[in-house]
Amino acid sequence: MTKQVSNNFLCVAIALVALVATSALLHALFPPAIPAGVVAKLNFFTEHKDEFDTLFLGTSRFNYAVSPEIFDRITRESGLPTRTFNFGVDGMHPPENFYVLEQILKAKPRKLKWVFIEVSDIQVKWTDNVLGTQRLVYWHDWSRTALTLKKALDPRGNAQWYIKLARFWLARRDFATNLALFAKQFSNVGRVADFFSAQNSKSASEVAVELGPKRDGYRLAGDAMSADRAAHFKERLAREVADARSKSIDPYADRAYREAAAQIRQVGASTIFVVTPVIWQSPIRFPRSPPPGPLLSFNDSKTYPQLYDTRVRIDDGHLTRQGSQAFTDILAHEFIRTVRPVVDKP
Amino acid sequence: MLFVEFRFFWFFLAVFAVYWSLRRNDSRKIWLLICSYIFYAAWNWKFLFLLMGSSALDYFVGMMLARTKNPRRRRGWLTLSLCANLGTIALFKYYNFFVSSSAAFLAWLGLPASVHTLNIIIPVGVSFYTFHSMSYTIDVYRGKMRAVSNILDVACFIGFFPQMVAGPIVRAFAFLPQLESPRKFSDVDVRGALVLFLTGFIKKACIADTAAPFADRYFAAPSNFTAASAWVGVLFYAIQIYCDFSGYTDMAIACARLLGYELTINFRFPYFAQSISDFWHRWHISLSSWLRDYLYIPLGGNRGPRWFIYRNIMITMLLGGLWHGGAWTFVIWGALHGVALVVHREWVRLTEHRPQAQLIIRWLAWPLTIYWVCVAWIFFRAVDLQHAFPALRSFVLFRSPGTEDLGTWMLWVVVGLAVVHWLNSLGRFSEWWRPIPAPLFAAGYGCAAAVVLLFIPPRYTPFIYFQF
Repeated sequence: MTKQVSNNFLCVAIALVALVATSALLHALFPPAIPAGVVAKLNFFTEHKDEFDTLFLGTSRFNYAVSPEIFDRITRESGLPTRTFNFGVDGMHPPENFYVLEQILKAKPRKLKWVFIEVSDIQVKWTDNVLGTQRLVYWHDWSRTALTLKKALDPRGNAQWYIKLARFWLARRDFATNLALFAKQFSNVGRVADFFSAQNSKSASEVAVELGPKRDGYRLAGDAMSADRAAHFKERLAREVADARSKSIDPYADRAYREAAAQIRQVGASTIFVVTPVIWQSPIRFPRSPPPGPLLSFNDSKTYPQLYDTRVRIDDGHLTRQGSQAFTDILAHEFIRTVRPVVDKP
Repeated sequence: MLFVEFRFFWFFLAVFAVYWSLRRNDSRKIWLLICSYIFYAAWNWKFLFLLMGSSALDYFVGMMLARTKNPRRRRGWLTLSLCANLGTIALFKYYNFFVSSSAAFLAWLGLPASVHTLNIIIPVGVSFYTFHSMSYTIDVYRGKMRAVSNILDVACFIGFFPQMVAGPIVRAFAFLPQLESPRKFSDVDVRGALVLFLTGFIKKACIADTAAPFADRYFAAPSNFTAASAWVGVLFYAIQIYCDFSGYTDMAIACARLLGYELTINFRFPYFAQSISDFWHRWHISLSSWLRDYLYIPLGGNRGPRWFIYRNIMITMLLGGLWHGGAWTFVIWGALHGVALVVHREWVRLTEHRPQAQLIIRWLAWPLTIYWVCVAWIFFRAVDLQHAFPALRSFVLFRSPGTEDLGTWMLWVVVGLAVVHWLNSLGRFSEWWRPIPAPLFAAGYGCAAAVVLLFIPPRYTPFIYFQF
């Protein structure tokens, strides 16, 4: 009986090893397809990698808010010329942005000098309507998944083992979800379907939408918020201003941003971190000093009231076209003010 | 919780490991019952009480039937069980249907009535577990089996998680004896069960879920599509429903087998049926035999004059259609099958002594059967009659105002799958893996599972029969 049981366990172990080995082989042969919204920009940037020296990497808050045309005009006029590509993608929060950054740097852009990265915390919670989608699966490799798991277990990064154990129960859903997403990514679940959908999404019109009218990644945003929403926005903003207090980004995001900055340095570029003019008014800082790069924060309605005028806002996080022009202008000047001493150093 | 989800894998692993590590049969049954209720509660825990109530009532009725010899009292107890079970189905599945249909009929007569329909969630698998439950009390009433004295056995039989929500509809006399004696792991055909599970997984996750978006797209707006697309849409639905349901059944049988229990077979290559009667001996066998034994035969079955038999067939098929849900589309689906069965029976009678006619029909039998089955699927799948008739016109008359195309080349996919299915029906894929040494089989199984995962769509489609 004991021999039979050990034989059974041996067979289970063999099956698992075969499953993992075959999955790893297939993973190497057929890497995860990058979904439509991201791949359009990635392909375009890879094809034109030596044309751009400045990159904006972040969410739709960047995508709709930074006009490369305006940014490049201001920098040129200030004697610090740039050629910018907006790599903002809807919902591309950490750690997805780190995965995309890796793909961008793999293309070895030789002229890249400045990479602007939007700062926010690591995301670990996903709504049911996006769970299992290609968009959520493709970047869930082990290093990115590990970030989400660590954050779920120990959000502040300083918990004792027994606290982590207790958190394991509280965060079980996030833990299980991210682990399942990693399992899907590693075991190539749905890879054939992803391949076909990636092929279908390469239509010229879809790519054109993603790249924007000037083919610089900047997409024109929608209209300003309605009067009702504006009133609600003003109320919330007032509350946010009253409750504002200095806030550190989570330690895992901090570590990941430092690693990203190091990778960017390796290709000869510098990183600039940006907090966009969102409704949350707490000043953001890196928990350890020195920070991995200059941090430009615009989530301050007192310093930048023009960015919080409801006529230039779509919602809590996004600006209208007029708002994006104003923001790009301010951002470009802030950038020049920040980097000029470094650039001009003999 | 679906059989094709990751969490089911972990769930089953825990069930399996603990189940076989327990020595006593009662402990195993308690464990199985707990796991079955967890499985059901994962969908909606509130309806667990309905399942428990149904089990308790039928256990009680079984005990009372065993105690009394008085025929009137026995009939009374059986009526109580039938009313409770059928009442549950009627309330959850048919209340809105009957109320809205009556209102529509009154409006048609010029007597508009204000109606009140209920916003009811249909408990998953209610039609299946009430049929399990009823089979127990009816069999005890008929003296086909003894009443079970242990409530745990009845609860396990009705709630057994592999077959609880979508069958196969297991009969009490076939399953309850299996619960009496402890199962032996050495008797379990592990290899056969694993292959069956993987086969079911491929059918459901790779084929049915891949076909589903095409069928869904077509049936959402049949008028928008060309006639050729109607064929693609309907044939893809035929593939989807077969692979979805038989895939589920394969996985259910495999899970039960890994725990030492045998469930009844539910499908025998139904799309190769040579007549509609043959089709019903191959499709959802557990339901058709249930309806035969508990409805058709009590109605009179094949005894009596011809019109009487045809009446029995039509009643059985109409109720069989209605069993799937409260909608006229299901009633028409049942009626189409009933009519086909009557016509087939009449044809067999007329050509009994005419070998030439039999020869002709031998060549036409299969295409006619599959064509009629597909025509009936249109009503089964359509959202309502307004969507069914345009699809029917396109499929039957090759006429459609629509211009959208699903891709006629996809009919080749149907041909390819039909060839694989045909080879499978010839037994080309069965048993060859039996003589392989165990470690090699394990390695091959792991590799095959890794390859299968490549082909599943990123999102699961719920099992079609879960809604019934």
